[in-house]
Amino acid sequence: MNFFRRQVPLLITLITGIVFAAQYYVPHPASEQMLTSVTKWLQIIGGFALVLGVSSLFHVHAVKIRRKEVGWGYSFVLYVGMLGTIAVGLWSNGKEAIDGTMTAFGWVYNFMMVPLQGTMFAILAFFIASAAYRSFRARSREAAVLLIAAVIVMMGRVPLGEYLIPISGDLSQWILNVLNASVRRAILIGVSLGTVALSIKIIFGMERSYLGGGKE
Amino acid sequence: MLKTSASFVLGSSKSSTYPRGYASGFDSPVALLDSRFEHPVLWKASVFLLVAVLSQSWLPVFAQTAETKKALSPPQDVRVFDTPSDGGGSLTVLWAPASDDSAAVKYQILLSEGPTPPDPAAMKVVAEFPANQRYVRESKWPWWTRPTTGDQHQFALRNGKGVELKNGTTYFVTVAKVSGDNRALATPVQATPEPNWINWNQMNNLLLALLFGGIVFYAIGTARKREIFLRRIPGLDAVDEAIGRATELGKPILYMTGAHDMSDPSTIAAAVILGRVAKRAAAYGTDLLVPHREPITMAVCQEITKQAYLEAGKPDLYKDDSNFFITSDQFSYTAAVDGIMLRKKPAANFFMGHYFAEALLLTETGASTGAIQIAGTDADHQLPFFVTTCDYTLIGEELYAASAYLSREPVQVGTLRGQDIGKALILGVLGIGTILATLGVMLDAQWPHIFLDVFKDVK
Amino acid sequence: MTFTERMLKIDRRIIFLVIGLCTLLPLLYPVGLPIKISPEVRGVYDHIESLPEGSVFLLSLDFDPASKPELHPQAISLLRHAFRKNLRVIAMTLWVSGTGMADQVVTQVAREMGKDSGKDYVFLGWSPGGTAVIINMGQDLYGAFPADYSGKPTKGLSVLQGVASLRDVNYAVSLGAGNPGVEAWYVFGKDKYKFELGGGCTGVMAPGLYPLLRSGQINGLIGGLRGAAEYEILIDQKGKAVAGMDAQSATHLAIIVLVIMCNLFYFSSRNRARQQGG
Repeated sequence: MNFFRRQVPLLITLITGIVFAAQYYVPHPASEQMLTSVTKWLQIIGGFALVLGVSSLFHVHAVKIRRKEVGWGYSFVLYVGMLGTIAVGLWSNGKEAIDGTMTAFGWVYNFMMVPLQGTMFAILAFFIASAAYRSFRARSREAAVLLIAAVIVMMGRVPLGEYLIPISGDLSQWILNVLNASVRRAILIGVSLGTVALSIKIIFGMERSYLGGGKE
Repeated sequence: MLKTSASFVLGSSKSSTYPRGYASGFDSPVALLDSRFEHPVLWKASVFLLVAVLSQSWLPVFAQTAETKKALSPPQDVRVFDTPSDGGGSLTVLWAPASDDSAAVKYQILLSEGPTPPDPAAMKVVAEFPANQRYVRESKWPWWTRPTTGDQHQFALRNGKGVELKNGTTYFVTVAKVSGDNRALATPVQATPEPNWINWNQMNNLLLALLFGGIVFYAIGTARKREIFLRRIPGLDAVDEAIGRATELGKPILYMTGAHDMSDPSTIAAAVILGRVAKRAAAYGTDLLVPHREPITMAVCQEITKQAYLEAGKPDLYKDDSNFFITSDQFSYTAAVDGIMLRKKPAANFFMGHYFAEALLLTETGASTGAIQIAGTDADHQLPFFVTTCDYTLIGEELYAASAYLSREPVQVGTLRGQDIGKALILGVLGIGTILATLGVMLDAQWPHIFLDVFKDVK
Repeated sequence: MTFTERMLKIDRRIIFLVIGLCTLLPLLYPVGLPIKISPEVRGVYDHIESLPEGSVFLLSLDFDPASKPELHPQAISLLRHAFRKNLRVIAMTLWVSGTGMADQVVTQVAREMGKDSGKDYVFLGWSPGGTAVIINMGQDLYGAFPADYSGKPTKGLSVLQGVASLRDVNYAVSLGAGNPGVEAWYVFGKDKYKFELGGGCTGVMAPGLYPLLRSGQINGLIGGLRGAAEYEILIDQKGKAVAGMDAQSATHLAIIVLVIMCNLFYFSSRNRARQQGG
């Protein structure tokens, strides 16, 4: 059993990893065709992953309801919401509007999902202000530099700031284009090297945590 | 100078009195001129000067006429071949520059299909451009695949926009030089586009990737044989402090592994650090809560947590539901975790992994409960929020370094070392490359490109 | 507790109230300050302006309702510009939760500009796979999307005439709120299939995309609500983004004032502590 849980996935990873790393350097149409086939498989598996996510959710909350654990009422609400949305979506054939007329699914999307997601994202504006008030203190030289740069960019990115301090616009552009871009590049290079190194380890079987389980 | 007020026009605006000529009764124009000038040699000199000036002014006209009547020379040394290192459907045309290449003169590329040499008049014009454009030096060939010197003309015929090149089909291509109504064609050359198996332009990319892979393997091998020094990450000291604080207060620890799945390096690093945190929590008997967004990550972390409790000698304290799945939706997960923070009031919050917009929602809520917060992420766009709201933040690769530091596994430590060597190489290349590129521009030299092209991304 | 200590520990809800008022009042009583156009936004605008009529423009609306306030105005402006230039618009999304919203915005702007689906534009909808969709579109667009969002077969649509894959797209813009987004379109799209690419993103993500902009990997970047407002000015059709700039101005100023106040209180309390200790 261990052979199919460990060795076979590792072998598949090794072969496909090397083949598709090499594919990048092969411009022949046969290589492109192979890539297209594999990406179609990825799309199919991606569709299954959606099903997996939904079924996991169903299972977890079904257990909570059955055992009447703390907060099982919320699990019941989740069930009603999920099943209701699925039913409405199937009835509307997955369309939010048909010939300009909003469907029931469209109603759920426009009047429940959109406002709820928008609300959660909007909370960020308030949290940014409270976090800034609490944390943007010039405790050290570095913190002072951070503070000054933040003020310049905040002023330069809005019309009122540019109106009050005209140079703030150009300064904030310079900070973004020169300082910010160079530092982001440095972080990007570091993270990319890390990703390449991890990919090499995964392909050659040195990193196996993605298979599940701890040390062997 | 003149006997009378009259003077002959010698290119001046003065009025002249025409000689009355033969009708006036003189024997000849010469005699007439002799009579008009006090010194006969003067009129001869004047006439000679007049003729000289007039012949000069006319000369360019004659020269132009001669020039325009001269035939255009056809493009020389025309070569056509299948474009190398591509997927087919393309031909490359090269020809020698001419001394009279200018914006006023044009080159045309003509194409016809078939195995037999065509009538040039029947060939289709597929491109036209000024003669002082389209050189090899303007194209993206690296030096190891460049077909000829940079001063030669080059044009790539590709599929699309009125051109259809089928692989395996023979085509005849020629170049014509056009100036006004004149046109000169070179002899058509035959070529067949074919797909290629290797993109030689990207060999530098492959070699560098193999080099980096070799460095990583070498470093891992070294790490297996001897201890490799890793500098202490300040945030890691805080991990123990945070766990200790949670134990003192009798409150749980909340640990999050981020938004990505197990194939992401940040999630793997988060899972490794979870092992360390779980071991300490087991040793101190502190509750651990690990909400997940991804079922596979949850399964992996469950095993890691169980293992950690075993290693700490406290398997009985392990709870299966310490790792639990909430949902994969971003803000639903965030709302659920915020609720856990407000209800259970954990004393220590760990945010390890990759995060998106939910980062600030989580950390600010955690800060409002007074918890000590430690973050580690490679999500550079969320770093400002973590830095302002958390007590300690592991930035970018410090997260990967932290997992290597904690686990001390040769593979992890060796990889980190390999990455550091890679970064040192990149720094060196940046420095040398900048100097060489500057020298190349200042001296108008091509030799720096021998080094620079090796690190260029050419498709 | 002294006044400075009380102010340093002020209830967050007071800050929330200040921010709320700074957002609400300018929306009710707009001021209309001038907005300077940045080179990043102009890059996208100029490129679309340079495209001849009938060019193929791909717009990928890779965001969900959470990012609607910032990216929706960008989408509206880009679509208006593209339709005004009589470009052939191919719209799509890589985010499943944004499909309905993407369909609505495309349909709404097309109706406003008098454009017909199938003839002037097509909304392909969503397909699972994220970056795999981009790769598939790069090889065969009809294979990746055999039918559009309304179920019509994509082969045979006049708007897609001559478009076999991403190689035939003249310009693509990805309005991204995360992953997959602009970076994915560059790595799996432009890098392989060689079309010109522009980007739009939320304000938070914009600084992270500047390396791509500086290196020419994308030829323009519309960042956040400010970018959307600049684009609305450029196409001379002011909308929600310009309206929102007054609120954003007031909010930024409020945060700056709060931060300055907090630092004054902090230094004051630190000096007092030093005096008492010394």
